[in-house]
Amino acid sequence: MKAKLVSTAKNIYPSLLLITFFLAAWEIICRWANIPASRVPSPLLIGKCLVADFPLLMSHLHATMYAVSVGLLIAIFLSLILSISMNRWLWLKQALYPLLIISQTIPIIALAPLLLILFGFGITNKIIVVVLVCFFPLSVNLVEGLEQVDNEMINLLRIMQAKPITILQNVQLPSVLPFFYSGLKISVTYSVMGAVIAEWLGGRAGLGIYILRSLHTYRAGNAFAAILVVVTVSLMLFKLTEFAAWISMPWERIKKNNLED
Amino acid sequence: MTTNKVNNNIRYIIMLIAVCMFLLAGCSTEGDQELEKITVLLDWTPNTNYSGMYAAIEEGYYAEEGLEVELFQAAAVVQPVAEGTAQFGVSYQEQVTFARVENIPVVSIAAIIQNNTSGFASLRERGIQSPADFEGKKYGGWGSPIEEATLQALMEKYNANYEKVDFIVTGEVDSLIVIELEADFTWIYYGWTGIEAELKGMELNFIELKTVDNALNYYTPVLIAGEKLISENPDLIKRFLRATAKGYKLAMDDPAVAAEALLKNAPELDRELVMASQEWLKDKYQADAPVWGLQETERWTNYTNWLFNYNLIDRKIDVDKVFTNDFIER
Repeated sequence: MKAKLVSTAKNIYPSLLLITFFLAAWEIICRWANIPASRVPSPLLIGKCLVADFPLLMSHLHATMYAVSVGLLIAIFLSLILSISMNRWLWLKQALYPLLIISQTIPIIALAPLLLILFGFGITNKIIVVVLVCFFPLSVNLVEGLEQVDNEMINLLRIMQAKPITILQNVQLPSVLPFFYSGLKISVTYSVMGAVIAEWLGGRAGLGIYILRSLHTYRAGNAFAAILVVVTVSLMLFKLTEFAAWISMPWERIKKNNLED
Repeated sequence: MTTNKVNNNIRYIIMLIAVCMFLLAGCSTEGDQELEKITVLLDWTPNTNYSGMYAAIEEGYYAEEGLEVELFQAAAVVQPVAEGTAQFGVSYQEQVTFARVENIPVVSIAAIIQNNTSGFASLRERGIQSPADFEGKKYGGWGSPIEEATLQALMEKYNANYEKVDFIVTGEVDSLIVIELEADFTWIYYGWTGIEAELKGMELNFIELKTVDNALNYYTPVLIAGEKLISENPDLIKRFLRATAKGYKLAMDDPAVAAEALLKNAPELDRELVMASQEWLKDKYQADAPVWGLQETERWTNYTNWLFNYNLIDRKIDVDKVFTNDFIER
């Protein structure tokens, strides 16, 4: 465990250094070339906007995160149920898998009128968009994971007359967990952006609304501050997923430690 | 791997989900039983075009009519209003006309601003003083066929060749940046972007559409309702417009109060811009009309004919059905 923590800490420095260098260069160029703030806000200005508008940003963040968390939960349940069913019944997979892929190719903005008519202007249409965005990486990974489960182990349990639910619980789910988490990592990364895009379709609260309002009153600094919030929250969700994976798959930890030693 | 361990893992997942559930808690909805909930869709982010409605909310004018009005900005306004997902929406004459051509049953029920305040803006140093000067210049727009037709119409009037205009699509980019960096002129609403330029100390040449061509003095923005609502609940529309008219009256008489109402509901906006824009718009809502919101048949006919002549619509719509003054109290 200690080894793991140290190695992550080590890994973070190069990227921190790069970001610091990048921000400093950005600030200097903004000042030196006298670029107007409505065009490209400098990092310091963005920081000021972030501090000044913090309570407002947090209230918008609350609305966005509500859609993100409900959407993510639904996406997780839905993809678990679907992928397990698709794994059990081949015909279902043959029927649904192409539709899954098609669902990802639809430009959501073109669905704006339909989504708004069907689900109104409140939270529901945002949740639907988050589910649409998050559902795919999870399902694809789960389906693939379920296919790679050790068949001999399943057969062994079958010989022992285990019920399908026992097999699912003891063999399939544990061995599919790494796939689940790699899908979830992609999903959570895109989830906040999905919610922001949904807010652009229509609404009255959320970071997407904040960004549009800031841009339309020519306050680029505020829009960038909101971007910073989106990035931070997405990173936190990513880290949270890594942490959940670390906790729920102790055998992977042991494997990794053995490799490192 | 023992069963025990696996069960532990599943327990962790359930715990994780429980934590997420916990994060969701604390979001409750409350409703007022006595007031009728009304949804109004806005075609852009909150701005001074809508301040009469924000004023009516804040001053309790809607509550007096038994209404609780919620304003949502939306990427699609016409279809949800036609379907009844929302009762009212903010649109503009061109959009309503196109919707009617496609048999979408929406009706314009009030003109929010009496005259078209939009036009073509350019930096003064580029020397664009009339549509004749558009020749050989770059136009930055949002890529609609209307823009091309409008330029064509204006330039033909001045014997200029519209094919010599270079069209570029700039989308969501700030108009003032567009005319400084990317293009020579663009289409703006003076009451917002023009005022922003004034505040920034930018010197603009502004060619107002309505002064160049009378047919282009169309209504923008307008309030719309669905035909279904009009036939089923005319009383609701009357009450909504009565309170809305009161709100716009306040915006005309006391612009600062209306601006504050807007800012209270959209604190993200720039205060200075909202105040200046409100001051500029206060005489434009009603302008020369006898009461706020009235629309004239002639203006609808002129622009419909204009759109038809430039092949932007393939049939003329019934002008008497596309707008109504029935719900405005004189």
